[in-house]
Amino acid sequence: MEKIKLIIDGKEIEAEKGTTILRCAKDNGIEIPTLCYHENVALYGACGICTVEAEGMPKLLRACSQKVQEGMVIHTDSERVKKSRKIALELLMSDHTGDCLGPCRLNCPAGTDCQGYIKLIAEGKFREAVELIKEKLPLPASIGRVCPHPCETACRRQMVEEPISIAYLKAFAADKDLEENTFLPEIGGNTGKKVAIIGGGPAGLTAAYFLRIKGHSVTIFDAMPQMGGMLRYGIPEYRLPKKVLDKEIALIESLGIEMKNNVKIGKDISFGQLRNDFDAVVVAIGAWNSLSVRCKGDNLDGVMGGIDFLQKVALKENIEIGKKVAVVGGGNTAMDAARTARRLGAEEVYVIYRRTKNEMPAEEIEIEEAEEEGIIFKFLTNPDEITGNNGKVNGIKLQVMELGEPDSSGRRSPVAVEGKFENIEVDSVIMAIGQKVNVAGFEDIELNSKGIISADERTFRTNIENVFAVGDATNRGASIAIAAIGEAEKASKVIDGYLLGMEIPYRKPFVSEKEVTPEMFAEKEKLPRAKMPVRSVEERIKSFDEVNLGFREEDAVREASRCLECGCHDYKECKLIEYANWYDIHPERFKGEKNVHETERKLVSIERNNEKCILCSLCVRTCDEVVKKGILGLVGRGFRTTIKPEFEGNEILNFCKECGKCAEVCPTGALKIL
Amino acid sequence: MKIAVGQGSCGIAAGSMKVYNELEKFLEDKSSLTITGCIGMCFLEPVVDIYDDEDKLHRLVKVKPEDCELIARAVKENNFSLIENITISREDEEFLEKQTRIALRNCGKINPEIIDDYIKNGGYEAIKKVLAGMSPEDVIEEIKVSGLAGRGGAGFPTWFKWNAARNSKGEEKYLICNADEGDPGAFMDRAIIESDPHTLIEGMLIGAYAIGAKECIVYVRAEYPLAIIRLENAIKQAEEKGFIGKNILGTDFTCTFRIKAGAGAFVCGEETALIESLEGERGMPRLKPPFPAEAGYWLKPSNINNVETFANVAWIILNSGEKFSTMGTENSKGTKVFALTGKIRRGGLVEIPMGKTLRDVIFDIGGGIKNNGKFKAVQLGGPSGGCIPEEYLDTVIDYKELSATGAIMGSGGMVVMDENTCMVNMAKFFLDFTTKESCGKCVHCRIGTKRMYEILERIVSGNGKEGDIELLEELCMGIKDGALCGLGQTAPNPVLTTIKYFRDEYVAHITDKRCPAKECTALLKYTINEDKCVGCSLCSKKCPVNAISGEIKKHFTIDTEKCIKCGQCQSVCRFGAVEIN
Repeated sequence: MEKIKLIIDGKEIEAEKGTTILRCAKDNGIEIPTLCYHENVALYGACGICTVEAEGMPKLLRACSQKVQEGMVIHTDSERVKKSRKIALELLMSDHTGDCLGPCRLNCPAGTDCQGYIKLIAEGKFREAVELIKEKLPLPASIGRVCPHPCETACRRQMVEEPISIAYLKAFAADKDLEENTFLPEIGGNTGKKVAIIGGGPAGLTAAYFLRIKGHSVTIFDAMPQMGGMLRYGIPEYRLPKKVLDKEIALIESLGIEMKNNVKIGKDISFGQLRNDFDAVVVAIGAWNSLSVRCKGDNLDGVMGGIDFLQKVALKENIEIGKKVAVVGGGNTAMDAARTARRLGAEEVYVIYRRTKNEMPAEEIEIEEAEEEGIIFKFLTNPDEITGNNGKVNGIKLQVMELGEPDSSGRRSPVAVEGKFENIEVDSVIMAIGQKVNVAGFEDIELNSKGIISADERTFRTNIENVFAVGDATNRGASIAIAAIGEAEKASKVIDGYLLGMEIPYRKPFVSEKEVTPEMFAEKEKLPRAKMPVRSVEERIKSFDEVNLGFREEDAVREASRCLECGCHDYKECKLIEYANWYDIHPERFKGEKNVHETERKLVSIERNNEKCILCSLCVRTCDEVVKKGILGLVGRGFRTTIKPEFEGNEILNFCKECGKCAEVCPTGALKIL
Repeated sequence: MKIAVGQGSCGIAAGSMKVYNELEKFLEDKSSLTITGCIGMCFLEPVVDIYDDEDKLHRLVKVKPEDCELIARAVKENNFSLIENITISREDEEFLEKQTRIALRNCGKINPEIIDDYIKNGGYEAIKKVLAGMSPEDVIEEIKVSGLAGRGGAGFPTWFKWNAARNSKGEEKYLICNADEGDPGAFMDRAIIESDPHTLIEGMLIGAYAIGAKECIVYVRAEYPLAIIRLENAIKQAEEKGFIGKNILGTDFTCTFRIKAGAGAFVCGEETALIESLEGERGMPRLKPPFPAEAGYWLKPSNINNVETFANVAWIILNSGEKFSTMGTENSKGTKVFALTGKIRRGGLVEIPMGKTLRDVIFDIGGGIKNNGKFKAVQLGGPSGGCIPEEYLDTVIDYKELSATGAIMGSGGMVVMDENTCMVNMAKFFLDFTTKESCGKCVHCRIGTKRMYEILERIVSGNGKEGDIELLEELCMGIKDGALCGLGQTAPNPVLTTIKYFRDEYVAHITDKRCPAKECTALLKYTINEDKCVGCSLCSKKCPVNAISGEIKKHFTIDTEKCIKCGQCQSVCRFGAVEIN
């Protein structure tokens, strides 16, 4: 064969005459994207994604068909090429209807593959489920118990009746896995790089887990006597038993992560020292200081912060709270504090909240269970003064409030009703209205206007060269654990890149999303959500035993099988979404009419969703040229073109042997083998 | 004496059949009555040509059936002053006199249904000359010297394609004529087939000889039924005379002809889509390479030219390529036929040498704008072409020069627009055409043209957004770069050229929500001028939605909320009181 020479992307290449640019590039390790080319069928040229630029040629060339020529200088990634591919992908996406990912996964701050592990649980594959969860979240048993589950908030099953019990299913699978044959990830080869992680809470543990998997040597420094951070010291035992947390932390430690407790930065070791000793430092110190309401009497003996209170309980320190306790705040910490106070023997526990129940940020189940446990809610009240006797709290004067205009958060803001007050007698007051970051010991680190560590949202870098920061201590301050975990997981990828000298900032992936209405689910059979069995109220208030008793296996499996499987079955293999993410696409620029099709199941084993079809015709051509059946054809013209049985006939389907070759070559999720 | 009634589709549409029947009734010597094709003066149809005994031509125009009795008398008495009022004016005669006709040389002169008429006018002499002593290479060389380029749009050198097909390996080769003329506003190919089918046949025979093809196929759109009938008839007659078939004119050259009626998809004018259609497949373009010269019809070497291209071939062989090449510019040789339509005073077919200017065609030959209107722009090349504004009217007709304006020579459609044409709406019109004619194969054309259309649609309906012009431009460039075939690659041209030359009109629609040409109804507001209104109430009676109210003899007002902008009030008002803002 005659050889010719050419240059592709600056690389001198020798190729056989008659080879296409696409083939030649591939042979030399340069991937040119294409959606309609397949080696088993004749050239087609529909997608226009494989275009490349050749010097001296005015038009872009289709790499799939253009043959290499002597002396050609080809650019596969020039600006013009990128622009052309980007527009092609934007146009395709503008007429592509479907959900790449389910709303559960999209709404999870850590991007856990809820639909994926729910399906595995439904199939009884609990270990596989845990394996999948741990691609994003190394503490599923703990988080499954305490997460306010934004996934469930987004779950589409509620358009039928109620959301899937995603969080508890996760805890169920993780518990199973902890019992025996526990999943452990593979650890990559030693990179020789050292990472220090400051803070052993959910963010720190997650960063450690993923960085260790990448083969780096990881040390966690934590100021507290044990690892776990807020999961241990902020969340009461009855919600997350310490032994569960211990097991999960032990697993992480077993990967070869060094864990150093009782180390305070700036006291036991200097921040500068760490920066010198390690290749990268991750600051994941959380937000451990309680905010105060700042009213008269807030310095009296018997007034304490919610976080401080919970921490002391976790440390089994002796605390006097008396028989009557007021907890100020409406979040989960307030609920935790109130219910903990009840368990410590308080007979009257009040929750002072300045709005109404509807506005409470705490989870509904927490409020419900608190009510069951006899917590008294004082809605529309706000502490005006904490009264005392001999420097010790003896009561609280409450300003009565009403709801006014909605504020920036959309919640109606509370306004004082002038002159209207209420007094209650209490022995202690717990302020659970928020947390703030304590940056003592991190003097060089840049803070934002709120005194929170400033970290880049895409690189997680701080102002200091090798220092990264994640979690509650950064940017917007305290949030939920899964958010900190999500940041840590993303940061671990960036840091891994940084350590290996090829840092790639995090970019939110582009996904296709479909608009849905409850009417679309009108035909679905209603299957009620599995109820978590709980301990009786009497039992509950007497001890710190876990309230939830856990799902039985058959209940878990049944619950998991309620999943509507909103996300595309083909997401991982979909070439369309892969390429869409190669370029920074914005299909909304071309928002317009979309073709609407019913999902077809004319065949027993193959489902066709033309709303996801990109008309590459690979199915048509494969059936025609490879299978030699010619069952499929293009119908209609222009924007209305669709793929159907040839001539829209149903009789022709009788020739289909359901070999599934059409679905195999489909580059998107339009065809599904059932 | 010969009386020929013009019976091209256009003449028939104007009533020439009736005229023919009436003449047959009144003429004494019925044998003198005959038909002819289209002379190309659409604005004067029906046309009746009378050649008197001295063979002097008396051309009668806009002939009505009721004129026929008098015509018969004039013929009988040899007194043509009787019909002076329907005789063509001196001014209109210039329409033809200023043309140079090669491709249209026989159109409107001979009877297209009689082969002998063609032969009498030098027909089939060229193929005789070729078979008598020219090698295929000689023929290709002659065409090369002539500089003839494809008249269908792209302007690719004809000899090059012929040569490539000739040099392609394989015994079985095909010569195909693209008579799928799909551009709205172009009709020269139809006129040639209807008026002079043998010119096409002869040109194709020469082409087939040159490339070594034994079969000629004419792909005619089914919407041209008369063309198909006349061509079928012509093929039959040529077979009978031995110009088609085995051992033509006693030589080794064998060539058959057949017609394929196309189902009328614009994209089938694209050569590879045409081939797919010929093979019985869905009309969708193929990837090039391979080009048809290498692997075309049934993957055999094939050559495709359009009707007008072939119509020049016999003339070139007889008159020499050199003579052909003396006409035109350095880059574009010979003549080009244009179909002049729109707001033009004298519309029809115009064949002129390359190198003339657009102004020559539109003003000198076409007589300028109808009803003394003001010229605004001319759309060249149909939906694949672009518009050219007044300041470029002196652009010479030349493939390169025209492309430099953003328009294209195309197949020769020339749609003239006056100041009442909204250029955004015009672009939308063509995009509507291309989206409907897109075959749906490639992404850029299938979705891209649709999105372009949607953006234009929102602009003309008053919902345009800042940034829409830039978005259109970006989309246009993307489609030009990415579309698979000529249809998609050229579809953005009407948009790009209107943006280039009439950007302010786009801005007026988007920013001021105003249509300067007062064509986009959504942006119009009808009002009644108090000073002019006499309170006759006619408008309010005509208004279909009761949007106009007022007191008799006082003035009336239009409720703009109710108004549907149908314009009836304006057309009935005798005082010019209804105004559009």
